[in-house]
Amino acid sequence: MKTAAELKEGEKGIINKVDFKNPCSKRILEFGFTPGKEIELVNESVFRDPITFSVRGTLIAIRKNEARSIILS
Amino acid sequence: MNTNNSGSIPFIVLVGAPNSGKTTLFNYLSGKNYKTVNYPGSTVEYHTSKISEKYNFNAMILDSPGIISLVPSSPDEQVAINSLYEHPKYGKPDLVVLTVDASQISRHLLLAKELKDAGFRIVIALTMLDILKKKNLQIDYEKLSDLLGCKVAPVNGQTGEGIYELIQILKNEMLSEPVNTNGTDGILVKDSYKKYLIKTYNDIEKIEDEVLIPVVDKKSLEKANSQLKVLNNELKNKLEAPDSYTLKIDRILLHKTWGLIIFFFIMAFTFTSIFYLAVPIMELVSQFFGLLSQGAIDLLGNGWFGNLIANGIIGGTGAVLVFIPQIFILFLILGFLEDTGYLARGAMLVDRPLSKLGLNGRSFVPMLSGFACAIPAIMAARTIRSRKERMLTIFIIPLMSCSARLPVYTLIIALLMPEDKLWLGGIALASIYLFSILSAVIVAGIVNKFSKTLIREKSHSSFILELPTYRKPKLKVILNNAYVNSKMYLIKAGTVILVLSIILWFITFFPNTNPKVDTTGLSKNQAETLINSERLENSYSAMLGHVIQPIMTPIGMDWRVGVSLISAFAAREVFVSSLALIFKVTGSDGTLQNSLLKAMRRATIEKTGKKLFTFATSLGIIIFFIFALQCISTLAISRQETGSWRIPMLQLFIYTSIAYILTFITVNGLRAFGIQ
Repeated sequence: MKTAAELKEGEKGIINKVDFKNPCSKRILEFGFTPGKEIELVNESVFRDPITFSVRGTLIAIRKNEARSIILS
Repeated sequence: MNTNNSGSIPFIVLVGAPNSGKTTLFNYLSGKNYKTVNYPGSTVEYHTSKISEKYNFNAMILDSPGIISLVPSSPDEQVAINSLYEHPKYGKPDLVVLTVDASQISRHLLLAKELKDAGFRIVIALTMLDILKKKNLQIDYEKLSDLLGCKVAPVNGQTGEGIYELIQILKNEMLSEPVNTNGTDGILVKDSYKKYLIKTYNDIEKIEDEVLIPVVDKKSLEKANSQLKVLNNELKNKLEAPDSYTLKIDRILLHKTWGLIIFFFIMAFTFTSIFYLAVPIMELVSQFFGLLSQGAIDLLGNGWFGNLIANGIIGGTGAVLVFIPQIFILFLILGFLEDTGYLARGAMLVDRPLSKLGLNGRSFVPMLSGFACAIPAIMAARTIRSRKERMLTIFIIPLMSCSARLPVYTLIIALLMPEDKLWLGGIALASIYLFSILSAVIVAGIVNKFSKTLIREKSHSSFILELPTYRKPKLKVILNNAYVNSKMYLIKAGTVILVLSIILWFITFFPNTNPKVDTTGLSKNQAETLINSERLENSYSAMLGHVIQPIMTPIGMDWRVGVSLISAFAAREVFVSSLALIFKVTGSDGTLQNSLLKAMRRATIEKTGKKLFTFATSLGIIIFFIFALQCISTLAISRQETGSWRIPMLQLFIYTSIAYILTFITVNGLRAFGIQ
């Protein structure tokens, strides 16, 4: 089971589901990380965390901890 | 639905995601003539205004804080969303105007759907159509209006085009009878809300497919077949790709090496600006009020009334105004960084180390500013969205070694260092800064551990941040923002600082208002200084100093240092001038600093006859100043920004206790090793 946190810079993935148990899952869904959407890891911060995703035409930076709740197919 | 306070003018609320062009639209509608207000009992702000007269539409408009959904994720959002349903003063809005960034339509329509589902009457103001056009796309407004069941008005934020049409739509909406739309509060249920989100996003994607149409020039339109009108995958991919310039710039600004170097330079620039750019202006302000105050003394005499006007009121006003240059410059730079889109990226770069302390990448700029002055720094913490992280940042800012401590450190270092080894002083000063940074890190870690009891916020920390598209900053908006923040400081914290300054003046002046001193053979200035010294020595604060003598003795100091510490609450650097007064230094030995140093070297503790300023006690004073929260202005601003006296009082108590205990350990520890 691959999560969005495991993507490499420039790698794409399609969201399978979002783990509702993560306390941030609501926020993640609201920002448009919904099942079926393709996302790309665009940037890693200097300390490799947070990471930036391209989703729905914009860039969203989230911590790796939160990215782990995005499960890819 | 339509339950506005009866008979009054229409109440319209502006809602939208951050960066959706909401503030720009509000500026157009209000004609930039607005009030900034806090929601009752909170620090969340909103702006209200009448719709500008030139539109000939008598209505009240409220600009609410940016939100991305109707289900709050933080206490601040909770406040904003609750008052959208029922504003404490204006009731329920008659109309909600939602700004939707056309190039972000898939995300921004979420709020439209939620507002509709919650039963609000909405009108959509569609912004950033120019950005969409660059991607060769446009929006079929009528279809969007049909599919959503609300009016849609395109608005151009650059030119103001479309505002009159929007106003016309609002007028018409107000005339028409409201359709009875009862909200389904189902979206508020926790787990089903997540399912609702997934379903709603699916619906939005269908709407998106129908309303987005390619831009075609006239010729191809003539031979346009039905296929062209349908959004093809290539164009759709274009829409889903972030702005290409932004991606290119990010390759440099978020680069693992260059990004960090550029970040460092931008921060160095920010810091030096508030440190060096503001200082000459601050000195001008101080000098101006110094002259004014001297003028008042000359005019009204050196009695209690003259002094009340000169030192209490004029001096107090000066103490308030002296912070304005720093606040204005810092908010100018912050506004610039925020508006261009850099601030979010800077926060991302340094988030990792700060997250270990329970802070956030956005805490960096406020903490850095704290090395210049805690007042603008605590205000700058507004850019932190999470309330817990904002409170924690405000909590530890007073530990950053602000510039007002510098005169105290220099004085004590000059006292300790031999005059032929000046470089040693530089090392000492650097060590003090290093030590205070280290202490701040440790204290932040401890405060974070106890965050539940200390700042009463949940300890769950997150970082989900949109990195906005880079764009040209709007100077007018930035200037206005800096102006509004400075004004708010003046009104809210300013009055508190003024009152506290006058109280402080009172206890350092009364009751011995007209001391008898022998001034024969002294110049006018020396005589005045001597009178001031005599007054301070017999003042309430000196009595207080005597009262706290038992507390001062264990740390090797006496009541005279105590009085100076009390006076230093006006501003830390006052410690130096207050010491000069209490030691009756009249500047007869060259410079004031030199005479003061001589007096300090001679000073002995009255009862024991031992030297007052030994190595141990001098180091103790430095330790005390590193930790103690000795600044009424910091307390006032902390109250303003946290919404109550609880956090500033905790800061005062905790930091002053730490200061005292560590000073005690330092002084007595050194003595135990035979170092006096």
